[in-house]
Amino acid sequence: MRFVIIGNGVAGATAALALRARDPDASITMISGESDYFFSRTALMYAYLDRMTLRDLEPYERQVWTSQRIERVRGWVRDLHAPSKTLTLDSSVQIGYDKLLIATGSVARDLPWVGWERAKRGLVHFVTLADLERCEQQTRRGGKAVVVGGGLIGVELVECLIHHGMQVTFLVREPWYWPAALGGEEGLMISDHIRRHGVTLLLEETVNEVECSGDGHVQAVITDSGRRYDCELLGVTAGVKPAAGWLAATQTPPRTARGILTDAAFRTSLPDVWAAGDCAEIEIPGAAPLVEQIWYSAKRQGEQAALSMLGDPVDYRPPIFFNSSKFFDIEFTTVGRVNDAPAGSRQFYWRAPEREASIRIVEAAGAVIGFNMLGSRWEHTILERWISERRPMEYVMPRLREAQFDVEFGRLDLAPALEKFLSRGPEPEGAKR
Amino acid sequence: MIRDGALHKLSHDVRNRGYSAWMTSALLFAFYIILYYTEWLAAPARMLGFDSKWTLYGLLYSIAIVSGGVYVIRKYRHNRYQVVRTLVVIATQVVLAFSVPLILKFFRQPEFYFSYLWPLKIEYLTPQYIFQLPAPFILYSFLGSLLLVPVLGIFLGKRWYCSWICGCGGLANTFGEPWRHLTSKSAAAWKFERIAIHTVLALCIALTAMLFITYAVGSRNPEIARQTYRFQEFYGILVVSWLSGIIGVGLYPLGGTRVWCRNFCPMAAVLGLVQKFGRFRITVKENMCISCGLCSKYCEMGIDVRAYAQSNTSFTRASCVGCGLCAEVCPRGVLRLENVARQDPQQAVLVRIGNARPQGRWAI
Repeated sequence: MRFVIIGNGVAGATAALALRARDPDASITMISGESDYFFSRTALMYAYLDRMTLRDLEPYERQVWTSQRIERVRGWVRDLHAPSKTLTLDSSVQIGYDKLLIATGSVARDLPWVGWERAKRGLVHFVTLADLERCEQQTRRGGKAVVVGGGLIGVELVECLIHHGMQVTFLVREPWYWPAALGGEEGLMISDHIRRHGVTLLLEETVNEVECSGDGHVQAVITDSGRRYDCELLGVTAGVKPAAGWLAATQTPPRTARGILTDAAFRTSLPDVWAAGDCAEIEIPGAAPLVEQIWYSAKRQGEQAALSMLGDPVDYRPPIFFNSSKFFDIEFTTVGRVNDAPAGSRQFYWRAPEREASIRIVEAAGAVIGFNMLGSRWEHTILERWISERRPMEYVMPRLREAQFDVEFGRLDLAPALEKFLSRGPEPEGAKR
Repeated sequence: MIRDGALHKLSHDVRNRGYSAWMTSALLFAFYIILYYTEWLAAPARMLGFDSKWTLYGLLYSIAIVSGGVYVIRKYRHNRYQVVRTLVVIATQVVLAFSVPLILKFFRQPEFYFSYLWPLKIEYLTPQYIFQLPAPFILYSFLGSLLLVPVLGIFLGKRWYCSWICGCGGLANTFGEPWRHLTSKSAAAWKFERIAIHTVLALCIALTAMLFITYAVGSRNPEIARQTYRFQEFYGILVVSWLSGIIGVGLYPLGGTRVWCRNFCPMAAVLGLVQKFGRFRITVKENMCISCGLCSKYCEMGIDVRAYAQSNTSFTRASCVGCGLCAEVCPRGVLRLENVARQDPQQAVLVRIGNARPQGRWAI
């Protein structure tokens, strides 16, 4: 049996190890155009910050790939021919497979700005190793940088640029930072925090034009409001999309929509071809097509896809949502549904005095459905349990302490939160702004 | 990417085995050689009114811990565990390891360091030495080494000593902070650690036993006494002078700050064995690790913490000194130091994983 995996990111690498764990004899090949070894993409910023070397970003010692007999091939796959079960690399090397997993991840989203196609240098994303290299080439102490796009990658890039002494203007289209994940109060707290690190954070600014010099170097961006922001480095961090576009140029592309369409067992429309991770769009009966693009989902999907390739019955259903991130120094844990809470839900929000920490708990139909926790640490599995047990907020609040995960001596004091809850209770959903 | 600017470049260089790191290491080596093998430091000591170069060394050691400690407290000021721990480290050094011996001397009492115990300070269970001291010192030494160490180790893990009290650990966690990430995380280094540290422990126990035998029957068996004292001299040069001092500190800028503690310290070996059967562990939050590797990188004991975190495995490793830096640097709050009554003490032992996982156990 020859398993071939396109992509050596977390989905692909997890799948490779899971295949090996179950099948000691199969041939397993992992193809990557980006890097020789699996690395932690979420840690790119730490290489930029000089807290890690690129080698440090590799989650396994290199000998693991040898000892697990996982062959690594470097190259970009240019063609997929399903009838002959053959891949062709850009070097014209052909690789045959019995079972193929496509785990090509995400690519940065482009933006429809005037002048976009003229920008040759200075315009950077922050997703790949090549992006990191381009960022580093444009980083200059005292230079002006503009970062557009108020998500997680944006704030990570901003932190790196600030560390390297650039003057950073952070342009966010929305009325507060990251409304897709944060409520208004949290957005305000994070905005203050970002500004305190010396960032010029401007809200409700939409860029529609990029200005370049004659040789294509970015010089400035111009927003809807007509304002012009000079920059020599322009970071565009407007999210990512599934890396499925390359398949259009192949002889036998699988069916795609936003991503590569699969069923709940990660099977694509092609025989013996699976897809998992950020690039997959999973059609689950009775639910909207699912594209998951975070580290945790890619790891989960990679493992499940491997089981499916081994012949196990797999019927993927995403678990209760959880995610984590960090905005400069403020850690963030989210579980369940917060910003997409249904109408009629109730919310409890509390901001810690004298500490950049807050908690938000959402309840619908008498059961908690979501948590947004900032600035302190939480054992998300306990929060998940309360959601799955459909506990009311009155049950959760006095027990919140059980889910705390702060360092010793550093536990966030929840007594004032409980006091606020007991005296005022949750608020109707409309009050969250 | 290295930060621009001369100072930033120097800082990178000295932290990452550049020329300045090699020079710093050479200076530290030179200092210890001078300290151990010459009397050059006696003159400056006298100028400060000290009657021995060792008091001057104690002063320099205290200055290194206090200034490094202030730097560490500032750096990790948002983390109460780090602040409290570092304050205790500073206080222990200044009070127990420096001031109290001076005060004892002033009152014509024996020089005694309450922050050190056997087997780190082998004299404290050496009958020829300890039985000369007044009874309270003897009592403290025996109770401390034989009772306090294991009992606290069971309940709090190794950390109560290695990263809260001990002077070697104190220096590593303060003055040594810029170099903590240099400790090797390789599976080979782990193997060396296990062989080396238990060898030194065996030497230490053998020497202590021989000293007791000599104390009992040495006057009738001069050959036993002679061999014992030869062995004691060898141990003193190899372990006390070279491994703990010259190599232990001299290698800070090249091999990380815990070369001595990780590979050679007999106290750490004893506490490590106790820890494995005790309550201390590092709890890993399930499925929350992003494999960034900051925990492994900044582990001064060379533990590949990421290997456990990314496979959702709470763990206890004998070498872990509980400094808490893995939990501090984790950007997703995945790790937590805990003292818990364990249902399954084997859970930790199960994952002998080098830097990877055991064959056939690719728990993901």
